[in-house]
Amino acid sequence: MLGVVFSRPNRWRFYWKQSLIEIEQIGINSLPIVALMSAFMGAVIALQTASSMESPLLPEYTVGYITQSSTILEFSPTIISLILAGKVGSNVASEIGTMRVTEQIDALEIMGVNSLNFLVLPKITAALVFFPVLVVFSMALSMFGGWLALLFSDLTTTEIYILGIRSFFNPFHITYALSKTLIFGFLIVSIASFYGYYVKGGSLDVGKASTQAVVTSSVAILIANFILTQLMLLS
Amino acid sequence: MIEFHQVSKSFNGQKILFDIDHSFEKGKVNLIIGQSGQGKSVLAKCLVGLYEPDTGEVFYDKRNFTGMDRAARSEIRQEIGMLFQGSALFDSMTVEQNVKFPLQMFTKMTKAEIQHRVDYCLERVNLDGSNNLLPSECSGGMQKRVGIARAIAMRPRYLFCDEPNSGLDPKTAIVIDNLINDITKEFDITTVVITHDMNSVMEIGDEILFIHEGKKWWTGNRHSIINADNPEIESFVYASSFMKEIREKLQKKT
Repeated sequence: MLGVVFSRPNRWRFYWKQSLIEIEQIGINSLPIVALMSAFMGAVIALQTASSMESPLLPEYTVGYITQSSTILEFSPTIISLILAGKVGSNVASEIGTMRVTEQIDALEIMGVNSLNFLVLPKITAALVFFPVLVVFSMALSMFGGWLALLFSDLTTTEIYILGIRSFFNPFHITYALSKTLIFGFLIVSIASFYGYYVKGGSLDVGKASTQAVVTSSVAILIANFILTQLMLLS
Repeated sequence: MIEFHQVSKSFNGQKILFDIDHSFEKGKVNLIIGQSGQGKSVLAKCLVGLYEPDTGEVFYDKRNFTGMDRAARSEIRQEIGMLFQGSALFDSMTVEQNVKFPLQMFTKMTKAEIQHRVDYCLERVNLDGSNNLLPSECSGGMQKRVGIARAIAMRPRYLFCDEPNSGLDPKTAIVIDNLINDITKEFDITTVVITHDMNSVMEIGDEILFIHEGKKWWTGNRHSIINADNPEIESFVYASSFMKEIREKLQKKT
């Protein structure tokens, strides 16, 4: 399947146009849910860390540091990708699946269009281009949410929180997070496209394919997360 | 002309088509008829390459379609128009965009030329003025006509229509039948219509291929099918009370 997906598009103009549409549909339209999740998760991480810091040996800026590291290393790339697996994965599988059962894919093939390439490649491109943007946006909003929560509950000052955010910052962690995001984005879209493209039957089967796509891509993300962590952080 | 030899197809070990040979002539409406589940649509899908036949070869004007790679097939497919049973219009595009799509994808026509061609195709199917409607805003008959307009946009040499009348009222069905017939004669193309509608058979059946149990059972035309001496064809043609009445009247006359 992937060999056909990554072949040369029939018309580059269509490919770029479709990619922009997909960036809007699977990227920009995901901004609200990512923003909401990130701000609240960042706030919860900061509050939980602050509430469990009873030892006087721990410096005050630890709250900011833990919010920063957990957000960059795990929360933004992995949890946001799992959320996107639900939102984007089901959307992609049901869109392509509906096109399959209503013979729209057959219509493309009859015209001589490489349907896999035409439908799937722009979605993969959009995911690879925009998922990292979403994750960086999530990182920023998460830390902002943590700051707001701490500020309103009067648990620390802005200066100490920012000191924590900047402490022990390792730029490689950003590389690690964005590498994970690229792989997760590819997995989400390609798995969902696979389930949608090869669906057989009617609307009920499209629904089943959509559910299967979300479950499989979520499991794939968890496994890939484990493997990538082993490869990138521990070797 | 479309010719095919020894075409057979199985699904999960069950044979659906049995070594079918036939040819469809240019400038005529060629019908593939038969009861539901006898292999008509599978045969048509084998002919256009949506299914790969297990055995056999398909030729489009002597060009061996079965033996071609994807790129070469794509060239032939640009000469094929197809009207699907459910119309298969792209539901995110307007009527105009649906008809424009193959022209923008495969031709080097200018914007003005494309617009002119789209307007002509829509006018040809009596849909001028419907350019900005979405498929969901069109009736079943309109959707079929948009499907025909899209199918003829690329000036095809071959036109396939899968159950063009399904879900349509008798009057609209005749409009679609006549449109297919007129387009076939006007553009001198090879048209293949898959149907089990006797009205269509009598209206436009220049040449008829009757498929039964996955086999080529009978060939003829709309005149000879009435008197075909074959129990399967007889039960197909005279399935409705209306056709039975006609037969009785004909028998009384003779």
